[in-house]
Amino acid sequence: MHMNEMANVKSDPSHVMWLNRNISTGRLDVHELARSLEEFFLTPEGLAMWIRRRFIEKFYGNNPHPFIVAMQNPTRGVLLGYVIEHQHFLKNWVRILSSIVFRSDRDDVIKYELENIAVEFLGYNGKPSHYELLLRMGEALGMKRKEILATPPLPGTQSAIRTWRKIAENKSWVETMAAMHSLELVADRSLVKYGAKLPYFNPSILSSDKYPQEVKDFLREGYEADIYHAGEALNMIEKYAEEFGIKEDVQVTVLKSFDAFSKYLLSRLERAFEIEPSLVKEVFGR
Amino acid sequence: MKIIVNGKEAGAKEKGCALCGATWGDYYEEVDGERLFFCCNYCALEFVNMVNEIKRRTGWGKIDELIINGNYYTGRTCVAKNGDKEFKFYVKFNEEAGIETFREI
Repeated sequence: MHMNEMANVKSDPSHVMWLNRNISTGRLDVHELARSLEEFFLTPEGLAMWIRRRFIEKFYGNNPHPFIVAMQNPTRGVLLGYVIEHQHFLKNWVRILSSIVFRSDRDDVIKYELENIAVEFLGYNGKPSHYELLLRMGEALGMKRKEILATPPLPGTQSAIRTWRKIAENKSWVETMAAMHSLELVADRSLVKYGAKLPYFNPSILSSDKYPQEVKDFLREGYEADIYHAGEALNMIEKYAEEFGIKEDVQVTVLKSFDAFSKYLLSRLERAFEIEPSLVKEVFGR
Repeated sequence: MKIIVNGKEAGAKEKGCALCGATWGDYYEEVDGERLFFCCNYCALEFVNMVNEIKRRTGWGKIDELIINGNYYTGRTCVAKNGDKEFKFYVKFNEEAGIETFREI
């Protein structure tokens, strides 16, 4: 009733947008709407799989995200767009994970997040961090480290980071964990098994001579790591969401995080267009 | 102005919002002398901002047809027509319904 009143009578933008993005762009009567909402939040395969399925629909479905399409054959501009915006994402990433460590009292969660912070930002087992590999990729593509670090994020990246920080500040640690680690699904190769129409990037890049070794090193890290990371985190999220009785809160927060992520991925492309203006025709002129 | 959103005619309540094609809501805005249907005031403001930007860049006084493809997740790839002239562009909006990206294709 509330949703119907807000969307159909009051034309409230946040409710209409939520329905458009998650349920249908076509108006439903109050009974159909109630049924659709109930079905949407059902988790017959568990919460972790619900999150996977929603991620596939939004980023890897019939209309895949344009950044992911661009990553099937990435140009220098696309990869530099990735580097410049992602440095800000990664720095924010570890700051938010540290808020989960601060607020959670569960050993498995604290250990998981600290390890993740080490892998992403410090380096682990003698290997360079993902942050360092990202910067090396940028340097190999011809941009000075100093210049990369001095470039501020685009407005879309700033807005996405604001969304994630608000989640970390105002929501439970389980929701924060879900908002962040569900995003690691982007590089999870197993999504193809569940219906993703394409991989994060064309894996032939990893053995191609067209790309500098540093590009392959960065992409390979994510390619090999995120199955383990996203899967393990999703299982913890499912366990604790159930224990605390906050499954629906987690679902709503995850969807908010996906919206922010989409905006952020478009910023990587936007940055790529700045570097390579002709790219806009290739990506959107088809 | 003839408006096509993701392959379907839009701009009237029974057809869908002039920007996103949704049939939720009940909001109207007059654009170039026509009363157009929108699902919410955000879509209306985004549409008006987009039309103004097209006119500013092309110098056209009116738009005969606007073809919009895409959504929030992908941004929107559009074609505006004035007589036999065409203007193709990509647009993405910010949280305040302003234009964040506008690139001619």
